[in-house]
Amino acid sequence: MTRILCSNGSSLTRRSMLGLLGAAPAAASLTSIGLGASRAWAATGQLNIYSWPDYFSTADLDAYAKKTGVTPNISTYDSDDTMFAKVNSPAGSGFDIVIPGSSWIKQLAAKGLLEEIDHSKLDLGSLDPHLLNRDYDPGNKYSIPKDWGLLGVIYNPEAVGGEIKTWEDFFQAGEKPGVSGKIRMSDSGWETIGPELWLEGKDWNTVGEADIRKAAERLKSFAKHVKSFSGLDVNSLANGAIVLAQTNQAKARAAIGLNPKLKWVVPGPMSELWVDNYVLIKDAPNLEQAYDFLAFQLRPEIQLAETEYIGFPAPLAGLREKLGADVKDADLIFGGKDVDFSKLTSFVVNPETVGFYSQLQTEIQAAAG
Amino acid sequence: MTADHSILSKPAGGKLAVGRFSLRAGSISDHILAGIPTIWLTVFFLAPLGFTVVFSFGRSTFGGVELGFTLNNYATALSGFYGAAFLRTLLFAATASGLCLLVAFPVAYFIARHTSRFRLLAITLVLIPYFSSFLIRVMSLTMLMSREGLLEKVLNTLHLHAGPLDLLDTQTAVFIGIVYAYLPIAVVPLVVVLDRIPKALTEASRDLGATRWETFLLVTLPLSRPGIATAIMLTAVPMLGEMVIPKLLGGSRGVLMGQALSSQYLQSQNYPLGSAMAVLVLLGVAVIVGLLAWITKGFAEVGR
Repeated sequence: MTRILCSNGSSLTRRSMLGLLGAAPAAASLTSIGLGASRAWAATGQLNIYSWPDYFSTADLDAYAKKTGVTPNISTYDSDDTMFAKVNSPAGSGFDIVIPGSSWIKQLAAKGLLEEIDHSKLDLGSLDPHLLNRDYDPGNKYSIPKDWGLLGVIYNPEAVGGEIKTWEDFFQAGEKPGVSGKIRMSDSGWETIGPELWLEGKDWNTVGEADIRKAAERLKSFAKHVKSFSGLDVNSLANGAIVLAQTNQAKARAAIGLNPKLKWVVPGPMSELWVDNYVLIKDAPNLEQAYDFLAFQLRPEIQLAETEYIGFPAPLAGLREKLGADVKDADLIFGGKDVDFSKLTSFVVNPETVGFYSQLQTEIQAAAG
Repeated sequence: MTADHSILSKPAGGKLAVGRFSLRAGSISDHILAGIPTIWLTVFFLAPLGFTVVFSFGRSTFGGVELGFTLNNYATALSGFYGAAFLRTLLFAATASGLCLLVAFPVAYFIARHTSRFRLLAITLVLIPYFSSFLIRVMSLTMLMSREGLLEKVLNTLHLHAGPLDLLDTQTAVFIGIVYAYLPIAVVPLVVVLDRIPKALTEASRDLGATRWETFLLVTLPLSRPGIATAIMLTAVPMLGEMVIPKLLGGSRGVLMGQALSSQYLQSQNYPLGSAMAVLVLLGVAVIVGLLAWITKGFAEVGR
């Protein structure tokens, strides 16, 4: 979900096509006829990955191809929602490895779409324990972290006129003249409503409809201050069109690179940690190859190279110290020096409530119009 | 499109018998030729459409559909918020299409009346943007309209505006973008219809004492009705599902049906509700097309 924040316009065609066709599942089941057929012929020595675009270092993929003779076929998606819709349709059966965000893993597993990971074949010992055994997948039964990110705030201290430490500061700063109308918020319902829920001391994964609606009311009245719910363009932060924005640390790092006056914070009392994970698809046609690829990806030197390439941290323990001194604003890759994992929570999609989050997000965006 | 139908309706009636006659002797290749698009449309249009209609009466099982018969999805899609969004979308499409027509008409008039030898060149120039991707064209508009962008510099230099220009992520930007994106497809049908109006008619009008303005209002404009109707249809219909331009240029504020619909499919994984919305949008489109067809009815008698 969060990657919609950083994805740019290129993400739009597919979503709009689905919307316009108005028949996504039907179309998906039709394409699956083709994929299902090709699956029968799939020989070993292949690997089909479904991922965010540009989410693997090309050098590492080349190294893997050299070592094994297998060049992974990578199909891409532009949002976790799209990923879920496809993996949940028969069209998803041709894939071996998919990289869902932490929020969707529980639902993918509940639908029986994921293969249980055989931990005897992979060593997770080198990974940061903060990123293992989290509530979206206890015991990492189905998922292995690939990289992670945070929901935070980037702001221009001059325009905002002070420091932002909590989400309350964010909302109050947003009402000031000079800030109002220059704010960017997420297009994900739980990322806009979540901050208000945290301020009320509630858990976004366990609240019911009434609490979500109540928190959304604040956002609906705040919406008039918001300029954009679309993907954040870092140039707009550099040139002052946006002075206060919800975003992830990688975008913040890019923006600070352009305008060093900007500040990044992960506001209290809580904020979001999302983790993108490798999962294996049930009855994957190239399971052995998939394990081999994952073992390769988990090697420390590959984790290091991947981090430098994609700008989001791999889960390797002690990665910060291993990162080269020439990496600019390296602390920001990890969300800053003092990120407190006990104050971070990962969203878990719940069919009972996710509809309210997205419906209310639509209403919040409408209220901003 | 509708216009062509009504113009052709009379002669086509006569030719139909000939067509049926030759069908018996017609070669198999004719059937194959006709069959390919039929199969294509059945598989890729009618079948998914059928699924959509069936789904719209079912119950959501989060990323799945339990088939059944309930009108709840339609009740939700028409109630309160979504009903308002649907109306807002209709209004948006009508306004944007009207603006498009307003800009396109003078362009088309000029091309049809004043470019004689260079007509092909003029039409090609209008259509050239279509050689690049829609998304790239809209993205380049964001660069033009952003702070420190070209538009800001031009306006500042001409002293028409002072300081930073905050045009991006406004409703104005959305309308600029949408008129720009849909202009060519509004121009072409207007050129075709204006070109077909016999010069003799406008000359006669002038000879009989009408001013240029009266001639335009009473002769040219009524005769260009089918072109206007086609232009409205070609622009308003896709605008009903438009979501790229509001997202890139409007900051995704003031949600339209296209966004609401895709969020039901993807974020909420509620296919039945999304399907019901899609069916309603389709019905909206059908009403528009029907109205336009009705407006241009009987044009054959007027035109010839």
